[in-house]
Amino acid sequence: MRHIFLPLILLLLVVLEGVALDILPSSLIDGDILITPHWVLMFLVLIAVFYDRNNSYHSIIYALFFGLLIDIAYTGILGVYMFTYAVVIYVIRELRNILHSNIYSTLLFGIISLTIAELIINLIYYVVGIMDSVWMDYLMERLLPSILANSIFLLILYPLFAKRLDKWKNSKIK
Amino acid sequence: MFRKKRLFTILIGIIILVVLIGYSLRDRTNLTTGEQFVSDIIGMIQNVISTPVKYVTNIFENIDDIRNTYDENQLLREKLAQYKGLIYEVQELKEENTELRDIVDKADSIRAYNPIHATVTARSPERWIDQVTINKGSLAGVKENMAVITAEGMVGKIQSVSKLTSTVQLLTGFDEFNRISATISRKEGNDIFGLIEEYDEKTNSLFLRIIEESDKDLEKGELVVSSGMGGVFPAGLLIGTVKEVIPDQYGLTRTALVEPAANMYDINNVIVVDRVLEGEGEEKGEEE
Repeated sequence: MRHIFLPLILLLLVVLEGVALDILPSSLIDGDILITPHWVLMFLVLIAVFYDRNNSYHSIIYALFFGLLIDIAYTGILGVYMFTYAVVIYVIRELRNILHSNIYSTLLFGIISLTIAELIINLIYYVVGIMDSVWMDYLMERLLPSILANSIFLLILYPLFAKRLDKWKNSKIK
Repeated sequence: MFRKKRLFTILIGIIILVVLIGYSLRDRTNLTTGEQFVSDIIGMIQNVISTPVKYVTNIFENIDDIRNTYDENQLLREKLAQYKGLIYEVQELKEENTELRDIVDKADSIRAYNPIHATVTARSPERWIDQVTINKGSLAGVKENMAVITAEGMVGKIQSVSKLTSTVQLLTGFDEFNRISATISRKEGNDIFGLIEEYDEKTNSLFLRIIEESDKDLEKGELVVSSGMGGVFPAGLLIGTVKEVIPDQYGLTRTALVEPAANMYDINNVIVVDRVLEGEGEEKGEEE
């Protein structure tokens, strides 16, 4: 029963990302600042840090699958989020053994993952021709606000799920 | 050995990525069954979730609105008085129009359309892609390339359709592949015709390339409406108002900056416009 929770939560986050921009006040969206929610990625980071064992690849499989869902539902350009999320989660999985898993290291991983993900996604979109902004503007108007907003989201998720994921991981062995 | 395997995986990943992107950027007319299925499932969940979320956000918006109510009320009263006269006039004109149409035996008009009412359930979190999802799909009669309007004016066109949901490309995401033939009607003298070409992020306005000039110059504040000449959109849908007119780099044609009439960030209820008169350019969309 336990292992159905993670896909359900991730699916819920995919859906919620669609209404995320409605929750923010429209003055924030209307202006120059472009905040992109990466809630699914944040939860995937938690899974990678707390749930996955060294020999299991749950987080990467989830990253591939739910990245593809985001591509289908929200952008119509397949593969971009799928590839990016999988790569980022792979990197995080490699990095996680360097630090103890606590709130600071998780936040650091979150910020690293957001930065890499944003850069890869926008690089792809830039090459394809969807994004046509100047990179310097992009850094100030989209990258920094997005990292900030999503880090806050990660800080909200952390107390809710960190312990629980660890528990689920251990209950898996039995 | 292990490094080699890793390198191999990454290379295969990149190849798959390129193939997928190439596939989805192709000029696709229909979504694959898998994509339709996924969009439908996600659409259903979004339907359930967006209602309470909208309800809560509406409460906050309402509180925000209350502060401006008095000033707005004053303004609206004034406008209402003007409209009363206008309503009478419009009614008279409509009657006369139908009468005249009966006489010349021409029932279908390029202006007529069947409205399909829909609610916005989600907005793409990817900000470079200006796309929203609505809760009506091909079962409700929505087809690709139909115009989508709100009470304020045009907001975009249908990009892709699945059974229960469809995605709308907003005007702010229009590029050179999505042209709308537009017109500015004049009381006297020739109407001005042009093409809405793309949305410019810097000036927050649509570029209207003027094809046919009128005797009189274009002025600030004039209304731009769709002309219906593209074959899919009906005529007379409000697009926006002229903000500025600039000459192009050779000085031969001129471009008007058009401010969209509808607010692209605050869309809840939309109408999908199903034109009664079928155009010939159905497949090519609004491209000329």
